[in-house]
Amino acid sequence: MEQTIISLNGRIDSNNAPKVEQEIFARLAGQEAGPVVLDAENLEYISSAGLRVILRLKKTHPDLSIVHVNSEVYEILDMTGFTEMMTVEKAYRVVSVEGCEEIGRGANGTIYRIDQDNVVKVYNNADALSDIQHEREVAKLALVLGIPTAISYDVVRVGASYGSVFELLNARSFSKILATEPEKMDWCVTEYVRMLKTIHGTLVPEGKLPDMKQTALDWARFLQAHLPEGPGRKLLAMVEAIPHDDHMIHGDYHTKNLELQNDEVLLIDMDTLSVGHPIFELAYMYNAFQGFSEMDHEIIKAFQGFDYETGAAFWRKSLAAYLGTNNQRKIREVEDKARILGYARMIRRSIRRHMTDTEAGRAEVAHWTEELLDLLERYDTLLFQPNELELEAVTENLEEVQSFVEDHLEASDCALKARTQIGVAVEEIFVNIANYAYHPQKGNATVRVEVSEKPVCVTITFLDHGVPYDPLAKDDPDVTLSAQERDIGGLGIFMTKQLMDDVAYTYKDGQNILTLKKNL
Amino acid sequence: MLNIEKTIDASELTITLAGRLDTTTAPELEKQLNAALDGITALTFDMAALEYISSAGLRVLLSAQKIMNRQGKMKVLHVNETILEIFEVTGFTDILTIE
Repeated sequence: MEQTIISLNGRIDSNNAPKVEQEIFARLAGQEAGPVVLDAENLEYISSAGLRVILRLKKTHPDLSIVHVNSEVYEILDMTGFTEMMTVEKAYRVVSVEGCEEIGRGANGTIYRIDQDNVVKVYNNADALSDIQHEREVAKLALVLGIPTAISYDVVRVGASYGSVFELLNARSFSKILATEPEKMDWCVTEYVRMLKTIHGTLVPEGKLPDMKQTALDWARFLQAHLPEGPGRKLLAMVEAIPHDDHMIHGDYHTKNLELQNDEVLLIDMDTLSVGHPIFELAYMYNAFQGFSEMDHEIIKAFQGFDYETGAAFWRKSLAAYLGTNNQRKIREVEDKARILGYARMIRRSIRRHMTDTEAGRAEVAHWTEELLDLLERYDTLLFQPNELELEAVTENLEEVQSFVEDHLEASDCALKARTQIGVAVEEIFVNIANYAYHPQKGNATVRVEVSEKPVCVTITFLDHGVPYDPLAKDDPDVTLSAQERDIGGLGIFMTKQLMDDVAYTYKDGQNILTLKKNL
Repeated sequence: MLNIEKTIDASELTITLAGRLDTTTAPELEKQLNAALDGITALTFDMAALEYISSAGLRVLLSAQKIMNRQGKMKVLHVNETILEIFEVTGFTDILTIE
């Protein structure tokens, strides 16, 4: 059945409503009740008298829609419930971004400031209405879940594509702050990591956001044809082994997507919001600050506005703050795991976008592939424990172990005295492992620090694969003896027992496991 | 890190310790003591700036005490609360002369 298009013009109110009604029904007279489209492009205003005309029309012609509705008329139709009763399509305001400042750029679009209070995110693809709808929905979801973000209030046409408009007053991106006020680096790191932890601490109701693991599995599957068989299979197995995680990840968390509005920090560019293990997020972060610019340091300047060294420093500091330790070994381990996924993503992207058609593109993919293969040889898992440190059990590493433990105690409100006592106990146990566990060979030990809140208690666990040995089985020294009668030595374990609230030993799965507990 | 400062007045030796006396630093103190204790009849440790001591440090103090028991006297000054507690649980408060 053919649709009838009827134009509505100017104002429709009680003055002219009867006349408009007459004209409409005259147009439709003698026709079957087919689809009717009211074109509201030139409609400026409609009163309740006009709305009643539309209601009567809806009764005789149920397949009724109104298109090209301007925002004032849309508001009336929305308030009165008409948008629920029939299809109402908005007219899109046309906005030009010519000469506008670019303030952000994400995977799917670019953000421009169109005036003092507003920004528009212009989508890369022309058919972006469903993307816009998606981003609006996930932004709303994030806001409700406690993430400070901006939600678009209008959709506009920008050239051949669409844009969504946000209110963003006096806002500056973290990239801009880093580029123009380098002395604010540490402040930026603190706020950036605070937001990152908020995101990763947000549990998302099941099925509300896509699972990043599926995306990463696509990367790994794609790379099967690119990598030698062994490493390719290993990469896929490592991604498969990442457990499902319903915590939020942003999916494009770099400093252009964090805005300072007055004193509030806002997360923007929400279309990549997903759920998954934090290592996925770290992979995107690594790429943004380092990966994409590894070969050509100019790339980050064009993208973020600050130089490669600033990006490297910001990434390293942020990772340290996120992990809660300055331990370089730990930071490098997590960075390496992020690089594995980061390289996988970049290699796939370059090949799919035919960037390997150029000499520079081929060199880049070759470099990333070489790095990836090296990493796949060195690591067996993409998982990481911020509170766990594995290193060679030698006394030269004692200082590193102690400062690693200290880093984690600093986060808790641990008094200096208890901290010193824990330090002594850690020294005694670690030195014991260093001296005896693998003697005369050498081997690794793992130290794990856990701080519980209620009751406030620190648990430190030492694991080693050395000879089974229970240091607690030894008799305590007699501390009432005089200096002359006393043996030099044998005090370490005794002190540990005295200074801690609980010391326990087990041997399990080929490992010595010694646990220290201290109530704070 | 441990800072060791020695002041000798005839047969009286004062050692001022600052920082940490632990597995890493104790061997250096032991070495310096071994080289300096000949003919000393009064040994004083000033621990006002000592922040930390582990069993490795206690061992050095014990062996110094054993030597001084034979050739004179030894005392320990300005011990902070945390270190004092370590001296207590290990019975060192009975072995050392703490002032």
